[in-house]
Amino acid sequence: MSNTQSSVSRPIIDVKDLVEVYADGTKAVDGVSFNVEKGEFFGFLGPNGAGKSTTIKVLTTLLRKTSGSISIAGYDIDKDPVAIRKLIGVQSQDTSVDPELTGRENMILQGNLQQMHGKELKERVEQLLEVVGLKDAADKRAGRYSGGMKKRLDLASTLVHKPTVLFLDEPTTGLDPQSRATVWEYLEGLNKKEGITIFLTTQYLEEADRLCERLCIVDSGKIVAEGTPSDLKREIGADAISISMKNKQGRSDETVKAAAREIVSKMPEVVNVLDSGDGLTIYAKEGGYFIPELVRAFDKTDIALVSINLSTPSLDDVFLKHTGKRIRVEELVKDTTSGRFGGRRR
Amino acid sequence: MTLLFDTRYLFVRSLKKLFRNPILLFFSLFQPIIFLVLFTQLFHSLNLLPGFPPGVSYLEYASAGILLQNAFSSALQSGTSIVEDLNSGFLQKMLVTQVSRPAILLGRLTTDAFRVTVQSAIILCLAYVLGFRIQTGVLGLLLILFIVAFFGLAWSGISLALGLRTKSAETVFGIGAFLTFPLLFMSTALVPVGFMPTWMQSVSNVNPISYAVNAVRDLSLPNYFSWSAEVSALAFIAGIAVVTMGITLYLFKKVVS
Repeated sequence: MSNTQSSVSRPIIDVKDLVEVYADGTKAVDGVSFNVEKGEFFGFLGPNGAGKSTTIKVLTTLLRKTSGSISIAGYDIDKDPVAIRKLIGVQSQDTSVDPELTGRENMILQGNLQQMHGKELKERVEQLLEVVGLKDAADKRAGRYSGGMKKRLDLASTLVHKPTVLFLDEPTTGLDPQSRATVWEYLEGLNKKEGITIFLTTQYLEEADRLCERLCIVDSGKIVAEGTPSDLKREIGADAISISMKNKQGRSDETVKAAAREIVSKMPEVVNVLDSGDGLTIYAKEGGYFIPELVRAFDKTDIALVSINLSTPSLDDVFLKHTGKRIRVEELVKDTTSGRFGGRRR
Repeated sequence: MTLLFDTRYLFVRSLKKLFRNPILLFFSLFQPIIFLVLFTQLFHSLNLLPGFPPGVSYLEYASAGILLQNAFSSALQSGTSIVEDLNSGFLQKMLVTQVSRPAILLGRLTTDAFRVTVQSAIILCLAYVLGFRIQTGVLGLLLILFIVAFFGLAWSGISLALGLRTKSAETVFGIGAFLTFPLLFMSTALVPVGFMPTWMQSVSNVNPISYAVNAVRDLSLPNYFSWSAEVSALAFIAGIAVVTMGITLYLFKKVVS
């Protein structure tokens, strides 16, 4: 290990004023600066064409930057790209496995190219095949795998050489919700249990929200906002609380709703109240603290709350605030920003 | 050392891919085998014409041409594999590892050379059954295989360059097919140069296929062998290889950077 690497305070990824101009003059990345600490799960969230993939290509030595400076694990990307390649694992947007090799052969080749051999490599490959659930299919040609299996194989093969930093370019694009959840769980495990620093790009709000400890929201080659997902969303100011209710006689009609609305509107924390069809959506600051108040307020009445749903503002609201646009993607997983009360909101 | 190891890994990879797609090998061999079995029968009386090397059967004459035709057309398919890796993202996946860059090309080229050698051996076996004998013995056979593989390599370079430039397997395939027959027919692969009209003779005289064919033919027929002819043929092929490999390396560096 070089001595630059052991300096604890230095971020593991350090990017200053990165600019990438394509041959045709397109400015794909326009003066981006950020850093990622060792062990962090860090993300770039933005729509298609925001410059996410270009940034990853430059960071992973595939594309030469136009200007700016980049160091990864203390190595300068211009001076020591080979040292960086040893330390990083990269999963590109398009799944790339060799269809004519078996799953196991794909992984062994990848290990060989990262200068791993023999027993060490064999054990590592078997362990990873187990982890990603491809042990039974390991001797089948990868071309016969399903999309989800290919993705898992691709991911596993980038991990063979035990990278310290993992770059993932839209790792779940095109996956069904179930495979996506599996990938998420696995990535969280890698980050938490094995301490691998992860840099991820995504256009999925839920993905960024769930996985990233800190993220940059990017648009048109620029960083428009940076912070933890919860800080970014807190900027928006209010949370959304959806409630449904009925009265003590078990009725839940318009008159009950109107009565509930009157109670809620009088509360000082409430910013806005909207009719949500079968109930009400209340916008209030610090929703978590507001909910006990809300419950208490209804305690004194003859209206019972049937359900309470707290949802924080979404990262899309943050994106909207900074760019005036929404990140438009077909979210495969519906219900992107709300979780049950007491759920996994940060 | 890394270069050698990496080349070996990638050589083994391409080889596995090749043998798992036997249909590709079959189609490459189909044409030379048709030539060997049908063409030599069709034209077997050609050796009665004046100007044909005396005492030589048409099979003996054409075998050298068929070997090189096979090497030429197989080599011109080489670029399709790099296009495949480029478009599937596998090349990128290799490039983010510490793999030695030249090994990516060398792994490909060694596979091509191996493939041409195996195909040539199959063609030679078949020709042997039909009555073809190499007059210069085992050394001659080895030298023939070497020239044929070396010739193939020189043209693999063109195909790889085309693949890197166009990123389209169809284009590589199309240009390969487009080049093969005119160059083959305007060479001494199938008939002696004296049989051609004058304009075609001048093409044949600068046609690389003619050089390689003559070198191989001199090794297979009795009393034709001369070191000077062999060496000048090899030098000619080497010249082509330097140019094609130069272009390939240049384009590859552009892709890799």
